[in-house]
This record gives sequence, structure tokens and C-alpha cells, in this order.
Amino acid sequence: MKWYDPAGCRERLKRAVCFVNITVLILSAVLIFSEFRFDWGERLVGGFLASINHVRPEKGAVWELGRDTMTAHETVSRLIDRKSDTKAFADRTDSFAGIARRLLPGEWVTLDKTHFKDLYRTLPLTHARQILDPARLIWLLNGDVTDRIFCEGMKTGMKIYFIDTGNRVIHQIELTQDTLTAITEKHYLEPGTLETFDEFSGRIYPVDRFFGAVFKLPAEMIPDLLPDTDLLLDQEGIISRVGIWNEAENGFIRLGFEFRHQNQVRVLFVNAREWAVWQLGLVLKGAHS
Amino acid sequence: MRGWNAIWAVLRWVFFAGLILVSTGIFAVTLLVLHTASNLPKLPQDLSRIIETPQSRVYNASGQVVMHLGERESVPLARVSPDFINAIVATEDHLFFQHHGINKLRTLKALYVTLFEPGRVEGASTITQQLAKNLFFSFEQSFSRKFKELLVSFQIEATHSKAEILEVYINQIHFGAGAQGVEKAADTFFGKSARELTLSEAALLAGLPKSPSAYNPFYHMDRALKRRQVVLQRMKDTGYISEDETVLAASDIPELNREKRDARSGSYFLDALIKSLIDAYGENVVYRGGIRVYATLESRLQELAKTSLRQGLERLDQEMGVSDENAPRPQGALVAIEPATGAVRAMVGGRDYFESEFNRATNARRQAGSGFKPFVYYTAFDTQDLHPGSRMTDRPVRIPVPGAPDWQPKNFERGFQGDMVLKTAMTRSVNTIAAQLVQLTGPGAVIDTARKCGITSPLQDVFSIALGTAGVTPLEMAAAFSVFADLGNRHDPFLFWRVEDAYGRVLFEHIVQARPVLDPGTAYQVVDMMKAVVDTGSGRRVREHGFTQPCAGKTGTSNNFMDAWFTGFTPALCTSVWIGYDRQARLADKNGVGITGGRGAAPIWAQFMRQATADEPERNFPVPEEIRFESIDPETGCRIDARTSRPKITVAVKKGQTLCGETVR
Repeated sequence: MKWYDPAGCRERLKRAVCFVNITVLILSAVLIFSEFRFDWGERLVGGFLASINHVRPEKGAVWELGRDTMTAHETVSRLIDRKSDTKAFADRTDSFAGIARRLLPGEWVTLDKTHFKDLYRTLPLTHARQILDPARLIWLLNGDVTDRIFCEGMKTGMKIYFIDTGNRVIHQIELTQDTLTAITEKHYLEPGTLETFDEFSGRIYPVDRFFGAVFKLPAEMIPDLLPDTDLLLDQEGIISRVGIWNEAENGFIRLGFEFRHQNQVRVLFVNAREWAVWQLGLVLKGAHS
Repeated sequence: MRGWNAIWAVLRWVFFAGLILVSTGIFAVTLLVLHTASNLPKLPQDLSRIIETPQSRVYNASGQVVMHLGERESVPLARVSPDFINAIVATEDHLFFQHHGINKLRTLKALYVTLFEPGRVEGASTITQQLAKNLFFSFEQSFSRKFKELLVSFQIEATHSKAEILEVYINQIHFGAGAQGVEKAADTFFGKSARELTLSEAALLAGLPKSPSAYNPFYHMDRALKRRQVVLQRMKDTGYISEDETVLAASDIPELNREKRDARSGSYFLDALIKSLIDAYGENVVYRGGIRVYATLESRLQELAKTSLRQGLERLDQEMGVSDENAPRPQGALVAIEPATGAVRAMVGGRDYFESEFNRATNARRQAGSGFKPFVYYTAFDTQDLHPGSRMTDRPVRIPVPGAPDWQPKNFERGFQGDMVLKTAMTRSVNTIAAQLVQLTGPGAVIDTARKCGITSPLQDVFSIALGTAGVTPLEMAAAFSVFADLGNRHDPFLFWRVEDAYGRVLFEHIVQARPVLDPGTAYQVVDMMKAVVDTGSGRRVREHGFTQPCAGKTGTSNNFMDAWFTGFTPALCTSVWIGYDRQARLADKNGVGITGGRGAAPIWAQFMRQATADEPERNFPVPEEIRFESIDPETGCRIDARTSRPKITVAVKKGQTLCGETVR
């Protein structure tokens, strides 16, 4: 027995129910019962967490949903903005080539009828006829058949759809990059003489003889032979010779007008109706013989 | 004395050890809370706002909303039936209004069970904890996740009132069948608002979140009612309802809103539509972008299609003697397309979406059988000097196949009928003549024609393609026959006309563009032959079932009666019907007689088309200018007087084609 061990039961009880022990027990009981009664632990932790809420990360399902929703809206807005920008660009632009450059494959934009007419009129008549016959254009735009005009981008250029009120395509045009480039870069005007092009070989005529033959044709045939007189009249210099291409393409044959201006020589290409050129050829041959 | 000393020492040791343990525990928990707290998800200011996401809407062809995508419609507590609130509280957390995020006694019990009774896991999640889990955490089962969930629930309780918590909770729980939130669930299952729910309906709904699929009343009403009984009992035990009310509610069988089943994602058409939208815009935009989609779906036709297919298959069950619900039953699919545009008007991909979501209309590639012959005949007319009045002989055919045994096709009736013109051969679906035609054209040319018409499934370059041994989908067949219906113009099938954003700005618009892929005159000749199939040939059941409008079509039955098809069209609507087992099995009646396309699929087609076109004026197929109708002898193919009493048929021939050497003018 150690010197500090209690001497008897009385002493043991006295020590067991001492102030410190009773206090610890009561405090423990109060803590437990008050927790069950007042939920102070949960409140304490909840309050603490609320106080640091602003510095905690935005993570978890609901935040992800929020972000996804935001992303979805941004995506839709981006698509709409892109469409609006393209539409605004198309309304501003002054050439089909400009629209085609802007449109990605599969992307589309609507054109107002008036704007389409304006763009069409910017084309040299000879090219315009190849793209869309003016008579058909009148029917499409003034004949109450077209509701809207859609331009859709392609890898190789663009397509133009004339749509009725039922969203049906009533006419479509395909403008390939080659066609557009030819128009934009004025491929209808090439430097050099007619001899530069083998395709004119043996079919080059002095201007007087050419026009002499032209005037022998019936008057109503001449517009089919020289559809774009403005283009010819706008050129500087004088026509010295005219060549006839040796191949037809889509019902047209190219005529080459050799212009001389100061020390420069260039050839202007015009598309003439195949059958009119054939008639002209007969007259030229007759004149030749 | 020594004994007392020992007891005293133990007591003293236990006391101080307990004290240290409790202190350490409190200290450890405090440290854990501090450590975990900084990495807990932030709570949004307003819990109710986080469940509001803009809905994408799908409209049908008449402009009615047929589906909301990603919708979470929130309703205030005041607009929810008190019976539902009582039911959900009684079932999920009856002490919800007393605790502060945790039910301590239940948690201690659950902890004890989980720790000391291996194999048993007891849950004690309160409504607040469930909310915390649904809003912020995954469904991974771990103590760490549970602890974090507990802490977040304490914060929710500290910063929100009980009413707010309950409101958010009932607006975000899943009830199954695509319904999230009580308002949507009430509408989906009962066609009413959450405010109008009766005790019986409210108790049924409150039982669903435990396992939305298992208790889905559309599938398992019996299970849903059993679960409702548990809910009612708990409501009674917790004092929300009396004994009488419990009995009364338990005796009520709520009427489900079956008419609106297709207004949810539970429709083959809408599933296919969502898939194509996701392919175009991605899942995020479709479900959360708030877009408006104008579908080609015509709800009336969709309903007719569903009914026709279901009733047709039920008739077939009877003929086949399939009475056991658990026995495999034949499936079916129906697709209806508008030939002039390609718009899909109706699509049913199976007997019942709720039994099987597999869309057979778009995904099941099944042998078309004789349904493929129109492509063969078109190819023959287009590439050979043949037309419907050309004569051929139904005879045994042996076609050498390099590296394989010779192919010897047999007729359906097994016999041979001798000389006949091609129109008769098509009408009677003579296999040997189709085989001779493919021998003339080569299978590659037939494949080319099928491709031109829009068949995209893999097609093998073999002679048997003439008899439809390649697998194709009903959607492909309907689209491909639409090309004939529109006399050679192809319109690819599509499911939506337009997509707009929430403000009505157009994101996409479908343009109807006809691509001339077949010669109109030749296409008409095939159409004229297919008209005869319906009027006098293998598809005559269409007429027997009361469809009287001008139409054309072709039956198809694959080898050993595995598949039965009928694809046909009027000038306004082209429909393909397929029936067969999912697992390749023979379709046969009680007497073992195989079921053909004419017997199995044509009646379904006729029922659908009769009702679908009931209000439409009768329209005939336009006849191309170059077509002439000639009366000929069905055996020789030579012209005969139309007034003669001899057997004769009328064939469509083009100007310049010859009949027995005589040129048609």
C-alpha cells in the first residue's frame, strides 16, 4: 500500500465524489444532453462553414450543372452571333465572292432579294448569264415564287438556293471557287495577243471582217453573240482582232477581243451563245471563201 | 482491502482514459472539420435558384409542345399538396422539423449496424443530407463522402429555413420516367399540378424516389401500390393521417396519365430526334441551351402508328399462339415519311417503349426479302432493254458464283410458272426472274440504285441481293421507297424543320431539296408495277383491309420467315412496316405456317394508312409525259385489244420502247 492510497471505503467515496470529478461529470452530461436538445454542435459547425463559404471552391454537381448551362448558352450565343455577323457582312458586301469567302462549309446566310439583285448586277453580263439567266432571275425574284434566298458555304465555293414559302428549293446555283475567282480576278481580261491562246488558232479574224459578218446576221441574233456590250464599251483602246474559241462550254463559246491601248495588248473574253457563234462561223467562212 | 484497491485502480484508469479519449475525439473531429472545411463545395446564396435551368422545348408539326428537355420546374411549397409534403416527410425523414441536419440516434444505430453487423448497411440520411448529396456529391459510398455531406447539411440548416430546404428538396428529386421535381412528376404521372394531388396520388409519388425505376407505375403498378402502402402506414404512424384515411387512400387506384406517355422521352421518335440534335449541337446545348426544336412529328399519325403496330402485333400473337407474357413475342417497327419533303411524320421502333427502348426503326438491320426487288427491276429497266411488258421465263436458275457453290434461287411457291411479262413477275414476286435480272445487270448496279435511293446499310456485292439478303432498317426502306413515290426525286429523311434559341433566333432551318436520282419515267414504271402488287399481288391484303386510295407497295419475307415487311406509299405518305423477333426466329402461326410480309405487315400498314389518310383527298400518281399505257397479253407481252375478253394486263411503257417488236409511240 502506497502512502497516497485511500485508507478506507469512506475515503475512497470521498475522493470519487470530489468536486473535480463531479464537475467533469456534470459538464460532460450537460454537454451531451444540451447537444441532443439544442444541436449546438451542428449549429457551431454550420455557422463556421457559413463564415468561410465565400472562400470555398465552386465544385460539385450543382455547380457543374451551372457551368454546363453557362457553356450551353455561350455556345448558342456564339452560333447566333456568328450568324448575325455573317448576315451583317453579307448585307454589306458587294460581291458573291466576298460572301463565299466568309461562309464556312455548311454555314448559311439569307440574302434579301434586292441585295441579291444588286450583287447580280455587279457581275459582267456575260458571267451573270452563265450563273443565272436574266429571264429566270426575273421569274424567281419578280414572279412571286421566291420567299427567301439562302447562301450555303461549300468547300469549293457556295450554293445559292431560291426557297419558296414551304422551304422548298425552287432553283439553285452553284458558284464554284473557280467561277468566283474568274470574276474577282477579272480572268475575262488577259494580257497578250490572241496568239497567246492556242484555242484561237485558225479562228482569228480582223475586227472589220468580224463585225462585217456580225452585221450580216439577223438583228435579233446579235445580243446572243455580244451579250455584254457594256464590258466591251468600257475597255480602253481599240479592238484590232477577234478570235473564236475552239470549244463550247455549257452552251457558250468564248470570243476573244484583242484590245490595243498605248503599248499594251490584252484579250477580253466574252461568252457568246453557241448557236449564234455557229451562225457567225458560217458567215465568216462564206466571206472567207 | 486489496480487492477494493484493484477495482478503484481500474475505475480510475477507465475514467481518465475515457476523459482523454473523449477530449482527443473532440480534438480530432475539430481538426478534421477544419481540415475538410476549406475543401467543401461552396453553397450558392439562394438554393432555390440553382435548380432552375432553362428548358429546351420540342414542338410537333402542329406547334404544340411535345417534350421539355432538361426541364426543372420549381414550385413554391404553397403550391404543393400538403398531403405530398406530409407523405415525403413521413417517409424520408419524419423528424425533419426537429433535427438540425442529422438524426443522431438513427445515425448512431446505422453506424452500429454498419460496423458490427457485416453485410448489413443501414441508411440514416435526413432530407437535408439527401439534398446535400444530390446537389454537391457523387453517389460514391464512402465515409469521407458521408462526412462531407454531413458538414454541408449542417451549413444548409444553419443558413436556410426548414421550408426553404424542403422546397428545394421536393423540386429536385427524381421520380422516374424523366420527371424531376414534384410538379413535373404530378404532370407526368397524373396530368395535374402538384397542388391538385390527392392523398392517394401523393402517397404513390412519395414512394417513388426510393427506386424510381423499380416502382415506376407505368411499368409496375403493383410494386408502386405496395410501396404506397408503406408510405401510408408511415403517415399514419407519424400522425399525419387517421386510420380511416389510410384505408380509404389504400383502396384507391390512381388513374395514370397514359395519354401523355409520348410527351416524355419515352418515344422512339423523340429518342431519335434527341440523338440527331445531340449529333448536331452536343448534349450540353440540347439539354441546357434552352433551344426550341420544331419537329416533323405529327402527333396524330404517331398515335395511329403506335396503335396500329400494337394492335397488329397483338393479332399476330393470337395467330401465333403466343399467350405467355414472359415468352418472347415478335417485335415490330413502323416509319412514315412524307415523300415530297422527306419529313418523318411518325416513327415507332417497337411494340412498347417501356418494354424495350431499342429503336428498331432506325437501328435494326433486317433482311428486306422481296422488298428489295423494286431496286432490281428499276436497275434492269434502266440499264437493259427491258420494261414492264418484256417477257421472261420463270424457270430453274443456276447462277455460277466464283469460289462458291452455284446459286439456285427458289420461288416462294417452289414451282415454276413459265413465260410471263415482268409486271406479272413483280406482282407475283417471282424470285427466279429477279435472279435472272440481277444476272443481267450485275449486283453492283442494283447496289448503285439502292444507294441512290438512300440505302446506307452495308450491301454485299452478291447475286442474292436481288432477293433482299442485305440487312436494312425500316427508316431506310421508307426513305428509299419515297424516291419512287416522288418519281425519282430523293429527299433525305429528317426529323426537325427548325432550331431556334430561346429568343426565337434561327440556328438551323431545313431546306427541302429534291435530288433527281432516278429517271422519272422508269421510276413510274416500277410504281405502276407496285400498284399491281397491292391491287392483285402479294400485297392485296392492303385492299382486303379496306385501304382504297391509290397506292403502291411491295411485300418482303426473308429466308425462313424471319422477317416480314410491307413498304408502300401513296403520293402523300410512304410507310414501311417490319415485324420479326429481335433474336432471329421464325414467324409462324399455330399450325406452323410461316407468316409472310403480306400476312403480317401489310394489315398493319393498311390500318395505319387508312386512318392516316382518312381526311385527305384521293390523289393518283402523276404520270410522266413519256408514259403510255398499253394492254398486253400477260404471257407473250404482245399488244391486244383492250376490249377483248382474253386475259390481259395494262403496262406502263415509255415512248420508243417496243412490245413484241412494235414500237410504242
